[in-house]
Amino acid sequence: MKNKSFLWLMAMVLMLSLFLAACNSEQTEGETPGDGEKTSDNGGSDSDDSSDSGSDGSDDQASDEPTQGGTLTYAIDSEPEGILNMAFYGTATDAEIMGFMVDGLYTFDENLKAEPNLATWETEDNKTFTFKFEEGVKWHNGDELIVDDWIFALETLAHPDYEGPRYANVKTIEGAAAFHEGEADSISGIEKISDYEVKVTFDKARVNNLVNVWSYPMNKKRWEGVPVKDMLGHEFTRTKPIGTGPFKMGKVVPGESYEFIANEDYWKGAPNLDKIIVKVIDNKTVVGALQNGDVDMVPVHPTLGKQVEKMENVDLVTYPGLSYYYVGFKLGVFDNEQKKVVEEKEKYANLKLRQAMYHAINREEWIEAFFQGYGSKVNGPVPSAHWISADESELKDYPYDPEKAKNLLDEAGYVDTNGDGFREDPNGDEFVVKFSHYASSNPTFESRAKALTQYWNQVGLQTELQMIEASLYYDKIEKDSDDIEVFYGGWSTGADPDPSALWKSDMLWNFPRWVNEESDKLLEDAIDIEVVGTDSAKRKKLYSEWQQIVNQELPMLFITELQETQGVNKRVGGVEYDVSGSNNPNEWFIKQ
Amino acid sequence: MLKYALRRILGMIPMLLLISIVAFFLALAMPGDSFSGEIDPNNTDPEYIEEMREKLGYNDPIHEQYFRWVSNFVQGDFGKSTKYQIPVKDLILQRLPNTVMLGVMAMFFTYIFAFSMGIYAGRHPHTKMDHFIGGFNYFLLAIPSYIAGVFAIYFFSFQLGWVPFSGSVDIAVESGTLDYWLSRFYHALMPSLILGALGTATYTQFLRNDIIDNSQKDYVRTARAKGTADSKIYNSHILRNSIIPIVTFLGFDIVQIVNGALITEAIFTYPGLGQLFLTSVNAQDYPTLMTLFVMFSFLVLLGNLIADLLYGIVDPRIRVD
Repeated sequence: MKNKSFLWLMAMVLMLSLFLAACNSEQTEGETPGDGEKTSDNGGSDSDDSSDSGSDGSDDQASDEPTQGGTLTYAIDSEPEGILNMAFYGTATDAEIMGFMVDGLYTFDENLKAEPNLATWETEDNKTFTFKFEEGVKWHNGDELIVDDWIFALETLAHPDYEGPRYANVKTIEGAAAFHEGEADSISGIEKISDYEVKVTFDKARVNNLVNVWSYPMNKKRWEGVPVKDMLGHEFTRTKPIGTGPFKMGKVVPGESYEFIANEDYWKGAPNLDKIIVKVIDNKTVVGALQNGDVDMVPVHPTLGKQVEKMENVDLVTYPGLSYYYVGFKLGVFDNEQKKVVEEKEKYANLKLRQAMYHAINREEWIEAFFQGYGSKVNGPVPSAHWISADESELKDYPYDPEKAKNLLDEAGYVDTNGDGFREDPNGDEFVVKFSHYASSNPTFESRAKALTQYWNQVGLQTELQMIEASLYYDKIEKDSDDIEVFYGGWSTGADPDPSALWKSDMLWNFPRWVNEESDKLLEDAIDIEVVGTDSAKRKKLYSEWQQIVNQELPMLFITELQETQGVNKRVGGVEYDVSGSNNPNEWFIKQ
Repeated sequence: MLKYALRRILGMIPMLLLISIVAFFLALAMPGDSFSGEIDPNNTDPEYIEEMREKLGYNDPIHEQYFRWVSNFVQGDFGKSTKYQIPVKDLILQRLPNTVMLGVMAMFFTYIFAFSMGIYAGRHPHTKMDHFIGGFNYFLLAIPSYIAGVFAIYFFSFQLGWVPFSGSVDIAVESGTLDYWLSRFYHALMPSLILGALGTATYTQFLRNDIIDNSQKDYVRTARAKGTADSKIYNSHILRNSIIPIVTFLGFDIVQIVNGALITEAIFTYPGLGQLFLTSVNAQDYPTLMTLFVMFSFLVLLGNLIADLLYGIVDPRIRVD
């Protein structure tokens, strides 16, 4: 009697654990969770494959022959916004989800050059393009894809009520501006020839007209009667999107999981998999989920790469990325009204100072320490995987050489005159490098920034670090705030190689406020059809020359380009990655 | 009683006004806005960002922005989330069921643990078991939820494979069926246990102390002298009195149910309001952020009110009138 309530407590606990155990057996039948000693051949990794579809007799061999059926779990580690419409989405996460279900008119090859997909095109002058659509391509709802669907997408983007960020991808079409202002009923530059052929005229000839124009059609029939201003919130955008891609959207649990079902009518051939489940997980659980086989594929942050590499049931796939990190110098002040740099800042104007700061950094060591080696050093503003990237031999390397750095500083007049161990500027005044880095909850940010300041301290440049709250950081840089002098940052380049938006002297996002006429001229020439025509070799040559200038003038010190790393369970086959991303998921399969 | 309730409700109005001011200016005081850091030449350009800022009224004078927001808010228009691009109301309604489920389950666990442990400890004070319960409770109280969450995922999801580590439901089950609700329950189990366990300590110790207090009172001695069974004294006489302080917590529990658990939900990628609040802070999604802030604050007020009213009902001695 006395212990009744205690007994009751124990009983509750027992019941609870029984319940848990019951759930467990129902969910992960036969799974032997890894406790560090798991061997790779016990098949534990494919135990949660709940597929019941018939296998085709190739059971015993884990060969590379694609097999049919199976469900693949694909995880993403940041929350999508749920805008599942190519015309409206804003984040890469949404795009990643849509990648399973949409097709574009063109795709990019491993050198990021456009290649035909849904359509082929012809042009003589790079001003007028004739697009020929693949015939017989079906939308997921059974409608056939015709050029009207693409025209409809272009008109949506140019519509006055359109709220997404993609107007820039249509405004180069002749008449788009008038349509955008509401002065015309259609875009005059678009001329439908037949259901499968359309002629598009741009406002002028440019080399990048093609890769700039919007390439994702929208099913016109399905959207009929939905005003543009209601599209963003519509269920066709949120929970019932369709495309022409290898997988159809099944069920959606917003912000949490997405079910994709094989599109058996896919025009490039039915997918091998039955289903792909896309799951949103917290980045703290990435390693555990991969280890246990709870997810088959997930992007892995470089800092976790080594842990994933060690796993016996998972391959770490690395492929070249398109982003680079840099240390920039504020060389001036920009006026956004006049679109030009109105004032020069002298503090870092001396090229030898910048060179010395470059030689002072041990980039290899730094990359190894903070990106676990999943990166390599770059000497210019174009990641080496891009087709316009200059050959390594054309760019000057700035190896780690503290002695050289010291000599350069001596030559430039930065010497220690008052014996405090740090150099003064050529006038004999105190010289302190003010270095800024953005702060977030990521604990490695401060230490990697600190490491850079130590490199500079070691060659006698006194350096102060300030960590600035991330949301404020780029605002300050954009506004040329006085407390920003030397700043850390990252850029990623897109498929269109034109770097003008980040580098021309009249651009807001040219953060160093670097003005160089030669550079401006080269960037203009490289997209000027009169100069380069349709010859991409010529274009590349101009970009190489431009990279050499940047590489010599050093408005930024280029630190590293990153590799993208993806964890892929060994039971998954047919997955390939190159710089443009993964291959078409209809080729993926689950090994038997 | 009615007069008291009315007075309390009227008193909430100036509070709400103050809250709205605080919510608005706190959001505004955050550096940058929802477009900060959206600098990606592949995806957008400066003109678009400027255009959107103008359109959303970020460039208007502050008092205009404030009054526009308040007047819309009062009319039930909470604005449109800048991150998710849907009305905040829809967004909250989407997440609310998850959070309520998590909160109710957490409360359920809290009550079970707290009552069984509190009653036991109160009845057997200063025994080994009492000390163990006390120690155990303070241990739970001391663990930050993000540590508890990560450890729970590591042990129960990854090592033992008992529970899922993310999400609120298995997408493969048909919505509305029994399986669906079981799956919902199963997904909420771990986060709600963590949440419930963390709240247990306060309840247990309150209950224990109150039972000990009460057991030395005259009415208990009288009951004992009359020969009433010990279990009856404890379970009906004392417990009834000892529940009173617990009732005051109920008001706050309502807050907890809806407020969710910022950290727990984030760690378990459980899409509830807590997680939404956290992402809206990170994304500087003002409309969502401010709505949730006001909503949570309002619930605190409401919870307080309910607690005060319940107090009067449970214990006639302290009825205010």
